[in-house]
Amino acid sequence: MHISEGVLSGPVLVSGAALAAAGTAMGLKSLDYDHVARAGILSAAFFVASLIHVPIGPSSVHLILNGVVGLLLGWAAFPVILVALLLQAVLFQFGGITTLGVNTIIMALPAVVCYYLFRSLIHRRRAVGLTAAFACGSLAVLGSALLAAAALVFTEQNFLQIAGLIIAAHLPVMIIEGIVTAFCVRFLQKVQPDMLPGTPAVADTTTY
Amino acid sequence: MFPSLISSYASRCRWTCKPVLVLAFLSLLLLWSVPAQAHKVTIFAWVEGDMVHTQSKFSGGKRVKNAPVQVYDAQGRKLLEGRTDDRGEFTFKSPGKGPLRIVLIAAMGHKAYWTLSAKELAGSAQPSATASPPQTAPVVEKPSTADSTPAASALSNAELQATVQKAVEKALDKKLKPVIELLVDAQNPDPSFKDIVGGLGYILGLVGVGAYFNYRRRGMGPDAK
Repeated sequence: MHISEGVLSGPVLVSGAALAAAGTAMGLKSLDYDHVARAGILSAAFFVASLIHVPIGPSSVHLILNGVVGLLLGWAAFPVILVALLLQAVLFQFGGITTLGVNTIIMALPAVVCYYLFRSLIHRRRAVGLTAAFACGSLAVLGSALLAAAALVFTEQNFLQIAGLIIAAHLPVMIIEGIVTAFCVRFLQKVQPDMLPGTPAVADTTTY
Repeated sequence: MFPSLISSYASRCRWTCKPVLVLAFLSLLLLWSVPAQAHKVTIFAWVEGDMVHTQSKFSGGKRVKNAPVQVYDAQGRKLLEGRTDDRGEFTFKSPGKGPLRIVLIAAMGHKAYWTLSAKELAGSAQPSATASPPQTAPVVEKPSTADSTPAASALSNAELQATVQKAVEKALDKKLKPVIELLVDAQNPDPSFKDIVGGLGYILGLVGVGAYFNYRRRGMGPDAK
């Protein structure tokens, strides 16, 4: 999902960077000091998740975890993913510095969308809630795949073909991330329910 | 069910071992990732005789199959194009002059470059370019007494030299092959443990900065009266 340097055209890179900057500004505004530690933990998880390689399918794909990050952070997913992507680019040579903005949009925008879609649904009864969490994890990856295909359209011309290719490669990742997200949500509901969005704000101040 | 089992255990010891559980989860994630493979493509090219070999792979060692490879000269003109085979390799006849810019276009927005310098390619442009008749040849080649005229002897010496050079180069290519293969493998290091821990440390530092401002804002920092 990390787009390399030298693939995209200038306008795509610039508009990606501009959108990512706007999203990051939104995220930093929404991130209050009390949630910095949580953002850090999730940034670390996102950073490391890209090393977990899924050896199924024709290409080389890895976990993304943007569904969990988005669900737990909302708009703050933008700065968190930006930091992790910057470190991945510098330390692992995944993606690149020039494509940082585009890659941030690709992974953070679906995260934020999933936050709004699923933040209340995950508190439903057991089966519905678990399904919502699963959908959150896998739809975030699907959204990223579609956005990556959209970014590549300007160089490769054929949206359906690229989108099909990327989605096919990420199907195993979507399933795994759905399971991981469902597991995380269930775990947090038992252990630390105030970390999940949409829980009463009172819990937030008492347990921290 | 596995998740519910763990979470019921977690809820039982909710207040005592919560940090331990979070830590365990994080370290599990870290350990899991150590035999890491991931998402980057590289291409590496080397010269062997008058052929140029390229090898392409994703980091983690998976070969890039059936991906287009393009070769450009120094002026950016496309010289030739091909596709990698099942082992991620693509071989083409050296165009003789360098530098060459070899571009691998893997799917899904991945691209990698390798540049072969003019120096590396110089060896492949023989024999006509390098095997000019040397002047010192007759002195070195003492035992050529059978031939009658000095001119014939010089010619055969030049030929001999060219043959020897070719043979040496061939032998060297053969001997160096394992070394080159080692180099190919070394071109593409996976993220090391150092990289991973370094990145995590960086994030921890950012959290520290956030915490610092938080405490300053609340007037709870070490400098607060």
